[in-house]
Amino acid sequence: MTSTSFRPDVFAADSPTLLGSRCTACGRKAFPHREVCPTCGALDAAETVELSKDGRIYSFTVVRQAPPGLETPYVLGYVDLPADEVRVMSRIEGVTPEDVAIGQSVTLTARRDERAEDEDTVMFAFARTDQEDR
Amino acid sequence: MQAVHVAGAGMIRFGKYPVDVTLEKMGEQAAREAMRSANATPAEIEAVYVGHVFGGPVAGQRIGARLGLAGKPVTNHENYCSSGATALREAWIAIGAGIYDVALVLGVEKMTDRVKGGVQPDKDDLDAAVGFIFAAGHGLSARRYMEDYGATREQIAMVAVKNHQHSTGNPYAQYQHEVSLDQVLNARPIAEPLGLYDCSPISDGAAAVIVASEAGLRRLGVERAMAPRVDGCGLVSGTVQAGLGDVNEEDVSWRAGQEAYRLAGIEPSDVDFVEMHDCFTIAEIVRLEGLGVLPKGQGGALTAAGHTSLGGELPVNASGGLLSRGHPVGATGAAQICELYWQLTGQAAGRQVEDAKVGLAYCKGGSVSGTDGASVTTIVMSR
Repeated sequence: MTSTSFRPDVFAADSPTLLGSRCTACGRKAFPHREVCPTCGALDAAETVELSKDGRIYSFTVVRQAPPGLETPYVLGYVDLPADEVRVMSRIEGVTPEDVAIGQSVTLTARRDERAEDEDTVMFAFARTDQEDR
Repeated sequence: MQAVHVAGAGMIRFGKYPVDVTLEKMGEQAAREAMRSANATPAEIEAVYVGHVFGGPVAGQRIGARLGLAGKPVTNHENYCSSGATALREAWIAIGAGIYDVALVLGVEKMTDRVKGGVQPDKDDLDAAVGFIFAAGHGLSARRYMEDYGATREQIAMVAVKNHQHSTGNPYAQYQHEVSLDQVLNARPIAEPLGLYDCSPISDGAAAVIVASEAGLRRLGVERAMAPRVDGCGLVSGTVQAGLGDVNEEDVSWRAGQEAYRLAGIEPSDVDFVEMHDCFTIAEIVRLEGLGVLPKGQGGALTAAGHTSLGGELPVNASGGLLSRGHPVGATGAAQICELYWQLTGQAAGRQVEDAKVGLAYCKGGSVSGTDGASVTTIVMSR
């Protein structure tokens, strides 16, 4: 079954991949793609790059009340990608609200976008892995 | 620029009103109270600045037509939760520039019939698309603040205990009762570690002030002693964050504070009291630190120690803040200005800050994916 990305500009759904940008002037990466480099301010120096799939949880929250259309509870976190020095806000899956913790290792995956009409629409998420936590 | 003063203030009690208490009715009532307070007739008001978010197109003109202000220049200002304060800033600029001498500033919002479950950024925002709501953002901030600075859940909860205690003296507050630390800690979780009492409510309400130059004050017959000066209105927007820095760095608050201090010609230590945008408990702590009025990482402990309570070193949210006064988003910034006016003119019985000379009001509105905020306003007023 092929799936459709909720935002093809930031996420490739088949073999899940986050698409960011790399500034050809200073070399720093950003997510999502930024035409103006947030680090050095260079204009029109951004090239699209695939970001690392390995992250660690910088912070998280368990959302237990949300507007209509969002099924609760869910875990939302900031996930740091150390290889890219990029931070991504994402759902965190494969871990119960009781067991999620700062510093845990997570890996990029795809999850169904429950607010999309099309059942094949997916968004990015990070899932708990068995790797040693840092 | 010429000096700008607040000549009068008026608001309605914030709360949950029936559907037939409309945006227009609330706005009209608050504006009439402010006009009465400043002896201002419709003929004396030269311009109208209205802040709102969910009011729909030209809400300001709809309200103006009910106030005898049809025909005047009316502008509508949307900066999410800092909309009311942004409206004040526009009036401050225009009067300061000498274009007008008397203007009405109104913040108004009807939420309880149209917002459910919490407020979100624009639906096309990437964070919103993955499930970000404002409560979640502050849950992320709180968890990291505890991790990095050794702050406790109890210290964060004390913001709600303190502000609810203050609210018992404010007849305009939606909630005017105390809550205990146990109640805050054991409340229904919303976005962990934050629970119900860590979150400001979804509210209806309106607040208004009349601002005037010195010539305007003379025209209205308002004594200078009863018209605190607006010393400066800072406004900044958030910057795109790069790298893996501290989510509680509060650079956006720092920059907004610096802007206000520069415009007002003061130091952070000159501030006697603060009306802070405590949309969530943790937000009060990290934003005070960002402003430079509390040391980094110590805001939680200082709150628990009474530093920011009425009678403490730096009273914060004598009004009860957003947590107790309520948070009709576009009205909040104007309500903070009403509170500064009442405090600086000695009309805040039941919650009066002793010897209040310089007050600072801070609002933060909205979020944009990848930035440290959308809009922050900082307003300094002195008597």
